[in-house]
Amino acid sequence: MSFLYPLLLAGIAAVALPIVLHMIRRHTRKRVTFSSLMFLRTTAPRLRNRSRLEHIPLLILRCLIVCLLALAFARPFLSKPLTATKTQPARRIVLLLDTSASMRRAGMWEQAVEEARSVLADVGPSDRVCLMTFDGVAKTWIGFEQWSTMDLSQRTPAAIRSLTDASPGWGTTNLGQALIAAAETIEDDEVGDDRQAPGLRQIVLISDLQQGSDLSALLAYEWPESIELAIRTIASKGATNASLQLVASRNVLASPRQNGGISVRVSNSTDAAKTRFQLGWDAEPQTAREVYVPPGQSVVVQAPPRSASPTATRLVLTGDDHDFDNTLHVALPLEQRAIILYLGDDDPNDPKAMHYYVHQAFTASSHVTIRSARGVLTEQDLTTASLVVVADATAQANTAALRRYLESGRTILLALGSPEGAATVRALTGIGDLECHEAEVGRYAMLDSIDFKHPLLAPFSDPRFGDFTRIHFWKHRRLSLADLPQARVLARFDGDAPAWIEIPVGRGSLLVWTSGWHPSDSDLALSSKFVPLLYSILEQGGTFAERQSQYLIGDAVRMSAQRVQKPDGSTLVLDDDLAFTATDLPGIYAVQSPTGSRNFAVNLAPAESRTEPMAVEDLERMGISLRSVSDVVSTVGAHAMQHRSFAQMESQQKLWRWVLAATLGMLLVEIWLAGRLTRIGPISEGQQP
Amino acid sequence: MRDGVIPSQFGGMIDPSALMKIKSMELRAKAVVEGFWKGIHRSPYHGFSAEFTEYRQYTRGDDPRYIDWRVFARSDRYFIKKFEDETNLRCHLLIDHSKSMGYGSGEYTKSQYAGTLAATLAYFLFTQGDAVGLATFDDRIREYMPPRNRPSYLRRLMQALEARPEGKATNLGAPLQRIAQILTKRGMIVLISDLLTSIEQLERDLGSLRAGGHDIVLFHVLDPTELNFDFEVPALFEDVESGRDLYVDPVAAQKHYGRMLGEHLDSAKSICGRLGIDYHLFATDRPYDAALLEFLQHRMRVRKQVRRIRRPGGGRIP
Repeated sequence: MSFLYPLLLAGIAAVALPIVLHMIRRHTRKRVTFSSLMFLRTTAPRLRNRSRLEHIPLLILRCLIVCLLALAFARPFLSKPLTATKTQPARRIVLLLDTSASMRRAGMWEQAVEEARSVLADVGPSDRVCLMTFDGVAKTWIGFEQWSTMDLSQRTPAAIRSLTDASPGWGTTNLGQALIAAAETIEDDEVGDDRQAPGLRQIVLISDLQQGSDLSALLAYEWPESIELAIRTIASKGATNASLQLVASRNVLASPRQNGGISVRVSNSTDAAKTRFQLGWDAEPQTAREVYVPPGQSVVVQAPPRSASPTATRLVLTGDDHDFDNTLHVALPLEQRAIILYLGDDDPNDPKAMHYYVHQAFTASSHVTIRSARGVLTEQDLTTASLVVVADATAQANTAALRRYLESGRTILLALGSPEGAATVRALTGIGDLECHEAEVGRYAMLDSIDFKHPLLAPFSDPRFGDFTRIHFWKHRRLSLADLPQARVLARFDGDAPAWIEIPVGRGSLLVWTSGWHPSDSDLALSSKFVPLLYSILEQGGTFAERQSQYLIGDAVRMSAQRVQKPDGSTLVLDDDLAFTATDLPGIYAVQSPTGSRNFAVNLAPAESRTEPMAVEDLERMGISLRSVSDVVSTVGAHAMQHRSFAQMESQQKLWRWVLAATLGMLLVEIWLAGRLTRIGPISEGQQP
Repeated sequence: MRDGVIPSQFGGMIDPSALMKIKSMELRAKAVVEGFWKGIHRSPYHGFSAEFTEYRQYTRGDDPRYIDWRVFARSDRYFIKKFEDETNLRCHLLIDHSKSMGYGSGEYTKSQYAGTLAATLAYFLFTQGDAVGLATFDDRIREYMPPRNRPSYLRRLMQALEARPEGKATNLGAPLQRIAQILTKRGMIVLISDLLTSIEQLERDLGSLRAGGHDIVLFHVLDPTELNFDFEVPALFEDVESGRDLYVDPVAAQKHYGRMLGEHLDSAKSICGRLGIDYHLFATDRPYDAALLEFLQHRMRVRKQVRRIRRPGGGRIP
């Protein structure tokens, strides 16, 4: 007979309790009335002599109950040798190596491989090993199954070979996701494996454990209790690590300045020993300027003005210990202009007409050009136009070209200045019959039922910007929606007449406004909503989607390109609809698309530059059970494994249930016996002077 | 009482437990008193009645009505004539009726014993023609009957003595002071109590009575169990007066109890000694005859004292 928790047998010492209780005289039952207590004081209960112990059977019963309880808690089991059919519990070890960009620091990868080698040296023949690396995503090099099928002598060399192939890339450190992937790999391996008793489950993490590691995935993950994490930290040789990031202006409408004018943020690590760095263009060392950054802080500085030379695409920071994050690739800003084609007869200088307001809306922007077209459109006009604005009806001759324009995926904004404009709607949408007449408006109409879920109006969904009630419409036209089954109503007037309608035509969409924005129809053009609305239409048409020129490693780049040249010279050919995701190298990517060629830059994620080591407690806080480095694989113990097998035996036998049942039985007998003795007790014990 | 402080056997005397079987208090008293002959008490107190006792030189403040002018004519000095007071003894019986007096380990309580004792004394004094009054008290005077010597008054006294004690805690101070205020004429006071209270104030209270010229006899009545504390089984002991309870193992507590009780009795005795008060400790199993005997012995002693005091300067006219 053995015990799973032999320490709990100490509970047997509690038998002293019933013995002592039996030796104490029972005193509280008897009450004596006395004339005065003035000469008395209370006395402690006296113990009976040992020879005067009463109710010996009851005492023995009570002692037995206490002993049995202690026995049950100690979880007894009958130990027998482990059955021969079961092999020794196999250890499952996931070797998880960090290949993020921060591991590119000098000598770190070599150290990591050395650590991995030492772990592999301790692996026994029955152990199952999985080799994984991770940066932003985890990658399995050798799985458990593959490991077990390999020849014993081939296992370690194969793993080392894989490690040589797996050198650090430029990715971020998503440590949380990698740990979850490793833990799930272990669990998946155990699910399909009934032959082996569950042995040690361990993840050996070889990483620099940098502060910039992303642990957020662990927050929503319940770490399996029996999986241990052993950490082998790779320390860098120098602590100072300054990094460089572009202070990117994501405002795509801001005017890009060609020469210089680039702001960069220079950050320094908290444990840095150096504070002065040089910042300059790679090709022009003479332009470099000095930057002072105290440890743990960052400063935003203006980059030195760059020359017109096309090679000047890299800003380089020098002076710190690690240069993996010291280069900032800056793509030349795009020279792309949006052209809005205005179809209408009105004078651009007449404030009573619609053209004037469209013109005014875009004068501030240097990269939007308004062209007005009168009469018959040429094909040339339409191919360059990002957006076509049609004021009221247009000539019959243009409709065919405009319809083609729509079908190619573009957008046309049609404002119905009069019921006659319905003819243009009919022509563009191909609907035979469309009823349209001037609506009767009392004093004014307001917008109602605005569909903020539509991408066009989504920017106004915030309650601060969504108030359209100040826009008054004096006149509008009533279109019969019954004739437009495909139309989506973006807004209605308060009289339920549709105000803004989107009608899909081919791949493009026709936006119909049933009222103009000029003062005789409404004060829409005078409201603060007019300009954002026009920009929103422009953006929805895809005009600015490709204007972004700075990305981070791993970002998906939306483009309608067919051919992308990566910084290492390789060329990728893309399908038309897919986003470009192979941004795995920092540098300048050249894009060739039907509309022209452009460049964009991909840089290292800023988190990767936070190289100071994080506290291991951060991992513990996520519920991960850590094992100190000293007893990683080799010394993890025989003791722990023995305990696991004992626990298994105990849980199979479950002797404690029988012991507990016996205790309960004895308890019943004790209750009966004590009750019986109590009934006859007072007679035998009565003592009165 | 089995091994009491006071010897249990009194040859030829009536056992109190036998006496207690007589229901009528008066008959009980009569039974005890029979056998004692009618004694004559000479009043120790000086009054201004018919019988002359002595001359005393006049001092300022004396009533000039009592100056003997004939002596003044003869000697040219002022003398006051003094007379022996012929009034009978005025006796007050002060009975403790506190709750603790209701305790009794045997067939009768301390209160019943004290009542019978008081009745015996009253009956005895009545037969001599003395006036007997009664006051019962617990923490204050409960009932007061002034001294009378009419035969019918004796029956009223007996009825009052038969009443059960319903009082609260013992407090000697307030009742004794009240008695001292009530009693203007000097007389005899018989105090029957178990004195189960703090006696720190007892000396002052009895002293004020004594200063009033009263002759005091104190019968300290205790149950034999109270004297010996011969319980055996540990129990929760409940105070009959306060209701407080206390776990006591008698075997362990007896020694301490005996010492404390001894100190209490000694201090009561010494207070009485200092004040010239006749102190008698009675266990409730002690025959009444003994009490009566002691009482009478005390009376005789007092009378002798009075005479001794009177003789040296008595009656001589300078």
